[in-house]
Amino acid sequence: MALPLPPGLTPAEVGFLCEMELVTVIPRQRLEGLELLGGPTQPMIPPFATPLPLWLALLLKKQRRANISPPGWLNVEALTHILDFETDERTADVFSPSPRLPQPTSTAPLEEDPYLAHDALELSPPFLKDAATAQAQDDALPYHWLELSHLLLTHAADDFDDPDAVHRLLRDLREVRMSKLRKGFRVLDAGAGVKMNGMGGMEVAEVRGFVGGVVDGLRINRSREEARKEEEAEQRENGLGSSNYRDDEDDDML
Amino acid sequence: MDDDISDILASISSSTTPHQTLDLQALTRAWVNERTSPELLPYPTSLIDRVMERLKKQIEKIEDMTDTLDPKANFTLVILQTELERFKFLVRSFLRARIAKIDTYPYHYRTLAQQQPELLSNLEQQYLQSHQALLSAHYHSSFLSTFPANLQKLDDTAGGISMVDKPDEDQAVFCRVLRDAGRVEVQNADATEEIELRRGDVWVLRWSAVKRAVHRGDVELI
Repeated sequence: MALPLPPGLTPAEVGFLCEMELVTVIPRQRLEGLELLGGPTQPMIPPFATPLPLWLALLLKKQRRANISPPGWLNVEALTHILDFETDERTADVFSPSPRLPQPTSTAPLEEDPYLAHDALELSPPFLKDAATAQAQDDALPYHWLELSHLLLTHAADDFDDPDAVHRLLRDLREVRMSKLRKGFRVLDAGAGVKMNGMGGMEVAEVRGFVGGVVDGLRINRSREEARKEEEAEQRENGLGSSNYRDDEDDDML
Repeated sequence: MDDDISDILASISSSTTPHQTLDLQALTRAWVNERTSPELLPYPTSLIDRVMERLKKQIEKIEDMTDTLDPKANFTLVILQTELERFKFLVRSFLRARIAKIDTYPYHYRTLAQQQPELLSNLEQQYLQSHQALLSAHYHSSFLSTFPANLQKLDDTAGGISMVDKPDEDQAVFCRVLRDAGRVEVQNADATEEIELRRGDVWVLRWSAVKRAVHRGDVELI
């Protein structure tokens, strides 16, 4: 019944989310438009490119009914460029920037607007336009870059010009970015307040446990310390020291 | 200039986004928020009602199509069913994440729901009440009744310490700013800082700092 998972998306759930991204599909056979729960899809007429959600594109791909044209940033040239940025010493402590955001569609919502009202809904990944379609910006990694490229390389490797080179570049990118992330952990503190722009969905899932644990652990430790200091100050004022022994024992046990 | 035109075009096309798509986006956000926040968020009643209604219709449609057994429609059927399962997963995971929170802090949410009726759905209310009734009856019959009368309470607040567990509001969360949302306070080791929430930024912050912004839709959890 109740979900036995701790807060935070699991990698599988991040993958599920990523499968909602629109990708560009080049149909190999006709398929009429479908009335799906998430809105109608465009009819597929070969050889015209059609935007479809990734899960559907993969389904079609597995049945050899369509090809997927990889997004603009997922090729050797674009990835080499991004990798250069990531390994440049001048930008050693930031991630490569995320794709450009469209203008916000709404102003601040009214105070009485219900939670998740349509008018107040600002788009974000995986629903941002052109994050993974063939028209995607070629000089920035979108939020779901790692999951998306993994899925495409696994199921649609023959749609790439040079899948092995792309694969190598992605692995390099991942390692560079992970080491950056780890260096960034130095600034973690009890108040959190760490800016992590440009981080990908899978990267968040990967470090959530660690970052959350450190921040919460520091905070709890600190509040415990403060409580103890206050208590000591109080005891000094009152001239009572009798409960000291028991306090120490409690701390040892924790 | 090009940017301006494409922005205008984008705003026009987004206003014509079909309702179903908007609902999928809202449901997805509700799910991610609920899965990542330490506290229960308000129940989006009308959204879930609409989605459930559509799910029901889609199931009927799929059943009709299965009956006719048109071999051509076979593949369409596979697609429809796949999507149906994806949707059902979203709704189910969303509701289960909520139930997990209700189960962990039943007394806390029972008092809170009396002040904020939009926090729980009717079914969740009923679940909370009857589950709690069953549990406390069980505790009473198995061991609480042998305790002294003044120690039998499950939600005692005497002695300055409340027995009612609360979710940790200061837990760290990952969030993305969707709309410029002003400044929030961050309490660090030696000082209290203020940071500005700008559209597109990703932050690790305390839940208590961004809670109101998440309710407004200015910030989403990731």
